[in-house]
Amino acid sequence: MIPPHQSPLDPAANRREFLRRGLQAGAAVALTGGLASLLWNRHPPGDFNREAASALLPDFSDKNAGPKMAIVTGQNRTAMVRRALEAMGGISRFIKRGDRVMLKVNAAFATPAILSATTHPELAAELVRLCLGAGAASVLVTDNPINDPESCFNLTGIGPAVRAAGAELVLPRAAQFAPGTLPGARLIRDWPILHEPFRGITKLIGVAPVKQHNRAGASMTMKNWYGLLGGRRNQFHQDINGIIVELAMLVRPTFVVLDGTASMMANGPTGGSLADLKPTQTLVVSTDGIAADAFGATLLDKTFRDLPYIAGATERGLGTADFASLNPVRAAV
Amino acid sequence: MASFSTGRRPSARETAAASGVLVALLAIAAWLWSVQAHFSPAVTVAASAALAAESGRKSVAAPANLIATWPAGLRAMGPMESFSPDTLSDKIDGKAELYLSAGFVAMRCQRITSAAASDAWFEASIYDMGQPENAFSVYSSQKRTATQEAGIGDYGYRAGNQICLVHGQYYLELVAADDREPTLQSAAELARTFIAATAVARHANMAKDEALFPSDGMIAGSVMLLSADVFGFDQLNNTYTARYREGKDDATLFLSRRASPAEAAQLATALCDFFVKDCGGKETVAPTTPRGAVIIDSGGAFDGVFVSGALLGGVHQAASRDAAERWIQRLHARLPTPTP
Repeated sequence: MIPPHQSPLDPAANRREFLRRGLQAGAAVALTGGLASLLWNRHPPGDFNREAASALLPDFSDKNAGPKMAIVTGQNRTAMVRRALEAMGGISRFIKRGDRVMLKVNAAFATPAILSATTHPELAAELVRLCLGAGAASVLVTDNPINDPESCFNLTGIGPAVRAAGAELVLPRAAQFAPGTLPGARLIRDWPILHEPFRGITKLIGVAPVKQHNRAGASMTMKNWYGLLGGRRNQFHQDINGIIVELAMLVRPTFVVLDGTASMMANGPTGGSLADLKPTQTLVVSTDGIAADAFGATLLDKTFRDLPYIAGATERGLGTADFASLNPVRAAV
Repeated sequence: MASFSTGRRPSARETAAASGVLVALLAIAAWLWSVQAHFSPAVTVAASAALAAESGRKSVAAPANLIATWPAGLRAMGPMESFSPDTLSDKIDGKAELYLSAGFVAMRCQRITSAAASDAWFEASIYDMGQPENAFSVYSSQKRTATQEAGIGDYGYRAGNQICLVHGQYYLELVAADDREPTLQSAAELARTFIAATAVARHANMAKDEALFPSDGMIAGSVMLLSADVFGFDQLNNTYTARYREGKDDATLFLSRRASPAEAAQLATALCDFFVKDCGGKETVAPTTPRGAVIIDSGGAFDGVFVSGALLGGVHQAASRDAAERWIQRLHARLPTPTP
């Protein structure tokens, strides 16, 4: 129906109506936008310390010249890690008197050490002893397993072993996490990162077993940094390669230890059976975690090409997949 | 309310433009529906877990024990834990998706120790998968190769320090801290006690579909039911596979029962496209195999795909074209004649 006062051809009437409608639409858009802005959660869910200025970790990498990689074969983890570090120039090349060292282990599951789903307690303890022997002022050991950290550290044997060796065990609490945004990152943006225990830390060592992984293909030293994330981190499994690359951007360790004494060839990362393990009898120490993992892939009968996160990390210049180019020192014990 | 109506009929162009807008809106709604229908289970889990955490609910420490009465000589080492689809990744981060994609309902677990020797402990995990075929799916997709029969439940086996079995809709995993005989005997006893106390239904189709595979050349214990991403193809789910050996060569036969012959045919086409586009294969129609069967040469590994009624079948990674044709002929010969 056409209102009696309004001609269908009356441009003034249409203009008024148009303006009124336009204002109404604008108000509706502004109201919706304002409401959405109020409801928008600018922070990822999770209980963490928002007071910390930044959760980004310092660069702990070794700037000194020297061998970047050692590959040792054998069966005795403590002897192998000692030999590997000797080949790299000795622990004192990396750990100086007064250093405060953080040892990031894999304690993701409350399973016994024989299943190799977690860092072996003897290896963790030996690294603690080596650091303290080199004059480190303190060694802290940590990981952030989702399932009851105390059970994980106790049943894996890591907790008792590193305490006996003289380290302080850090069981993560929510307040020790702080939000961090990694420059250039797509996933680690305003995300809770284990932060507080790193205050005063001068050296960082990562130590991880070699495992097949249901989502990532393999879990080794690069995937091990996943345990520094808090929050609802399992959603990162939807882009597992992306998050591992960003973790490599986030964490620049002093060196990493990759334990392939018994590699989990299937049913990872939890495993559960001795039948999942293969005695690959190899341990790697490297200042380049990407190179260590590229070598580790061979222990799982894969190549680095089977693990897209390795290519992603090399493209960003975080290390090399061509581990042979580092002229790794090889030894046997 | 004022109106812009001028009383004139809209022009054909205006009608077309309005129809276009409506079609676009419908398309967007359909796309949103489709995306939400296929929402990643892991993200659902993550979101729900956060809500549970925020509301102060805890996923652990349910008061009851795993079973009502402990077998003689066993006692709880700690409280029973319970996990739902929302919280499973709290327990098995990195592996939860395998269970979630297979229809996981709930999991209970508890560490149990011998009353005589506290260092002889094991953890028993009971996964309720909702349906027997779901339980078989998670069982078979994790089955170890070096095993010995345990003689407990369905398909029960022992691998080193571990016992795994299916009981109806339940998948049981008992992981011991060592591989000593007394510890494993205790774990087996607990499983028997659970089975005796838990009545379950059996799934008729499961045994029927498994039995369609030819027995000659099958590698014992190699039948698997894969619930998702079969051969890396995200449209192919709920597929039985069995591994075969002929001389030095291995091949995998597969069968997937679909809702209708039309769906099976559509999926067969999509699977062939996947082998060609994503695996770099070259497709040819096989003249001697079942009518319409397709062989794909993926640079030395040969895949074959055919449809029989609502069943999609084929061979994966045969050593030669001849072998691929032979395998699908043998599989096809086992299948019932489809009703028209």
